Amino acid sequence: MGLIKIEKIGGLGGFGGPHLKSYGERDVAELLLADRTALNLLFSRRKGKLLKLPNNMQIRDGFNYRISRETEAGIETIVVPESMVPAALIACIKDSIE
Amino acid sequence: MSLQTAHNHLCQCSIVPRDVLKRFSEDIKLTEKERKCFSDTALIDGELRKLRAQAGKLTNIINTLSLAPVVIAGTPAITVANCNHSQTLPGTPISTPGSSTDLTIKRAYDETKAVAQFYKNVFGRNSIDNAGMTLGSSVHYGTNYNNAFWNGMRMAYGDGDGNIFIDFTQSTDVICHELTHGVTQHTLQLAYSNEAGGLNESLSDVFGSMFRQWRLDQMVNQADWLIGHDIMGPGATARHFTCLRDMANPGAVHCLAPQPSHFSEYKPGMDPHYSSGIANFAFYKIAMAIGGKSWEKAGQIWYKAMVDFKPSPNMKMKSFANRTRKLTASMYPANAALRTAVDAGWLAVGL
Repeated sequence: MGLIKIEKIGGLGGFGGPHLKSYGERDVAELLLADRTALNLLFSRRKGKLLKLPNNMQIRDGFNYRISRETEAGIETIVVPESMVPAALIACIKDSIE
Repeated sequence: MSLQTAHNHLCQCSIVPRDVLKRFSEDIKLTEKERKCFSDTALIDGELRKLRAQAGKLTNIINTLSLAPVVIAGTPAITVANCNHSQTLPGTPISTPGSSTDLTIKRAYDETKAVAQFYKNVFGRNSIDNAGMTLGSSVHYGTNYNNAFWNGMRMAYGDGDGNIFIDFTQSTDVICHELTHGVTQHTLQLAYSNEAGGLNESLSDVFGSMFRQWRLDQMVNQADWLIGHDIMGPGATARHFTCLRDMANPGAVHCLAPQPSHFSEYKPGMDPHYSSGIANFAFYKIAMAIGGKSWEKAGQIWYKAMVDFKPSPNMKMKSFANRTRKLTASMYPANAALRTAVDAGWLAVGL
């Protein structure tokens, strides 16, 4: 399946804006089976849109993650809250100032 | 999957879809122990969801019926827990956080207590729910975690990575910002996207900044109006960033997260931490035009606009602006200059 690209957005500081950035990438083959399965499920259910949680369950100032993968049909992207992202993917990102 | 990975999932699964948990709990490729871990999580998760949904319903019913919630304490209890760099909430409770030798724990305790006093003394509010709700904070959240947040029930603070950000409890405005998300949750119940999301974030910045000024007993012209000034790490300051946001100059180059300051720049779907710049700038303009201390008049109007009405989850910025205009007229009927200041402040941002 190739490379998974991940970007952290939001939070109190507004990551993903002009200066605060956080990126990483990971080869799918390096992920554990459970993480790959979790990721596949997220992609299959959330294609192209932010997971809609009830208003009173959304974390204020919480991080979201934009995750992209290349498929035969092109690049697929999902945006999901931090708690849904496998820890192995979160571990590969690095915060920086641009 | 290793047990550690399974455990990590268990600890983080509060909003993982139930079908994902269910599928893992039935996945024959996983060991029996791992499958049980996921089925246990699904069970706990289901009950937690019910609990939170019920709490939300109760808040809505109380607001609809205009009933006062049962007051559990005259002043809120303040608790602090230590996550010890895990992302498991709430973490280990600290028995006497006010006398802890861990400065982060002590600061979280002292400043949360001060925020409670600020809301009580300045606005007559008894904690987040106006009924003495215990104020819980979790510190040392995650490893090098560059964030603080309100999870719907408690505040959580990361230590920062030591480069871009330092310990998030260092900024008094950040502590009040997070706690104010709780107040908004119990009052206007603003959504977290589009215009309502921008208002939600702005209320947290406005009260966060007012709290910082109140702690320093500053007049509006003495205040720096910066958000997150005290959590800037050496890597940020070396590049001349002095804050996350500047309410006096939302688009300034010294902001790590520069914002729009006029409604014409607003776009649906914008991160609320950016769209909040519009209402932030209006509050700054109004408070400066009034003079004195921000919490004495402008703050009182903002507070009433937040707490004296039924929940408005999808409130527009224009509606909030008009509400403050009406409140100014009713709260200060003899003060024409104040009405002019409020009107001019909103007009300056296109509302």
